[in-house]
Amino acid sequence: MSNNPFPLPKEQLLEAYTKMKTIREFEERLHVEFAKGDIPGFVHLYAGEEASGTGIMMHLEDKDRIASTHRGHGHCIAKGVEVEGMMAEIYGKVTGSCRGKGGSMHIADLSKGMMGANGILGAGAPLICGAALASKYRGDGGVGITFFGDGASNQGTVLESMNLAAVWNLPVIFVVENNGYAESTSVDYAVAVDSYIDRAAGFGIPGVTVDGTDFFAVYEAAGEIIKRAREGGGPAFLECKMVRFFGHFEGDAQTYRAKGENELPQNLPFEGHESRRYLGR
Amino acid sequence: MSPLVGIVANPVSASDIRRVVANASTLQVTDRANIILRVLSALRACGVENVLMMPEKSGIRRHITRAYERAANLKEDIFPQIHHVRQDITTTVQDTLKATAAMKEAGCKVIIVLGGDGTHRAVVSQCGDIPIAGISTGTNNAFPEHREPTITGLAVGLAAMGRVPESIAFEGNKRLDIKIGDRADDIAIVDVAVVTERFVGAKAIWKPENFRELFVTFSDPEVIGMSAIAGLLEPVSRRDSHGLMVQLTPPHEAKMRLNVPFAPGIIGAIGIGDVKHMMPGVPVKLDFPAGTIALDGERELAFDQTDDVTITLVKDAFRTVNVSAIMNYASKQGLMKLN
Repeated sequence: MSNNPFPLPKEQLLEAYTKMKTIREFEERLHVEFAKGDIPGFVHLYAGEEASGTGIMMHLEDKDRIASTHRGHGHCIAKGVEVEGMMAEIYGKVTGSCRGKGGSMHIADLSKGMMGANGILGAGAPLICGAALASKYRGDGGVGITFFGDGASNQGTVLESMNLAAVWNLPVIFVVENNGYAESTSVDYAVAVDSYIDRAAGFGIPGVTVDGTDFFAVYEAAGEIIKRAREGGGPAFLECKMVRFFGHFEGDAQTYRAKGENELPQNLPFEGHESRRYLGR
Repeated sequence: MSPLVGIVANPVSASDIRRVVANASTLQVTDRANIILRVLSALRACGVENVLMMPEKSGIRRHITRAYERAANLKEDIFPQIHHVRQDITTTVQDTLKATAAMKEAGCKVIIVLGGDGTHRAVVSQCGDIPIAGISTGTNNAFPEHREPTITGLAVGLAAMGRVPESIAFEGNKRLDIKIGDRADDIAIVDVAVVTERFVGAKAIWKPENFRELFVTFSDPEVIGMSAIAGLLEPVSRRDSHGLMVQLTPPHEAKMRLNVPFAPGIIGAIGIGDVKHMMPGVPVKLDFPAGTIALDGERELAFDQTDDVTITLVKDAFRTVNVSAIMNYASKQGLMKLN
């Protein structure tokens, strides 16, 4: 029996933990700094959702492309975008990832396969179909991951992309990060089919639901899905269920939420878990 | 007063990784709602007028409400009245546990369960002596028998109305009790599998190289899942007093290898070691240093060298509705005759 009882080696466990910790600290710092009024535009925080992006991105290489959302900081960090450049970008500085022209909702680094956060809801899905088609055409084994929220899941662009990915058997993973709210509208009200797995099945795409706050659940499911896509098995759908702990944007009064619904857990996904003892942290 | 029948319908069963690693089916929410509507019609046809349901917010309730509105518009009096358990909805197994406890408290005669082995296990953990009737809507469905839900509804209706003697209508079932020292206490109704993974992760088990031990309450070569391994070695019926223990080894190290449908659409080599009978009431100490225990097909409990793990087979631990016996009795006694 291997000395490592976990699905990834110790160095990679440490890498995943570091990514999640970095995302949490980055977002908590932004939460404080935004309140001071020096950051232009809006920021949408990913704190508490770290396990989803990290569990998926641990399976990816630079050649694999992702298309992110308006809540993209965590995806950027997990995909390897340099955090100093990200923070500078959010402040609109010329030293930023995109020379300060994009801001929080348009951070991109093509060298890392990060095609961009995106202020247009559901706009990442068609982009990633294009990237996946390019990978398939070149035969480089690359995959494309498009993230979107429960609100954007209702956009025609997402549904059209699912159809296209199924018809062309593209190596695309559709990831809905279902955090319960589209801005202030509850997912219970706004998603007609009620089940994302049902919706994917309508396109002949297999779907899986996991606890998006459990790193190992996301890592294991994403690993199977990404391997399948890389080897020609076609698109798949992954629902990561989670809670949006901060407001839709910084400054959101969140009067639409129940008391206690959004208390950010102090522990990161690894903390209190056996793997943390294994890592000696 | 008309008896009360409970319905627990898990809206999120059949959504795990086996849709990707195999071609396991997806049962859409509308289909789940239609199954319940068929059951409700059957219950009403037998005279059941009140049903207590688990609340959920994944769409089943909405579809059923629309069907009731349509029936009212068409002046069709074919459904019983539905009441919902008053509880917060978490969309986790807690909903099933709480609703079942409430149904027991409310005095339900029978609880109908829609789900796979995992959902049935959750209901059994709370239902006490109330008989359950299973309808298969999950992924690994060794426990609920496969039949048209209308027939299950009729059998439950006849039993709940007291038209069939209890000795015919209901039967006892075995259960596996799992104890990890003082820190964990759980049950399984079909199988307990020990795997080498030390994390719960995506829950499903589908990697034979990691399988190490298997305990089953019954084994049937016609079912899918881990109990199929035992079923292809030595069938044990639900009515037999014993269970089965099977030592599993990595296939490439095994003296005996068996080709088994251990998940829907996955037929693969399983390495087999010793096979022994498991007698009721005799705790078996787990002889494996560290891993995870999968209960009815899903990883639930991690353990290591410091843990004392025992597994005990319990006879007559809970009751189920014997649909076949009830419908045969109904035929012989003419219970469905209208004049």
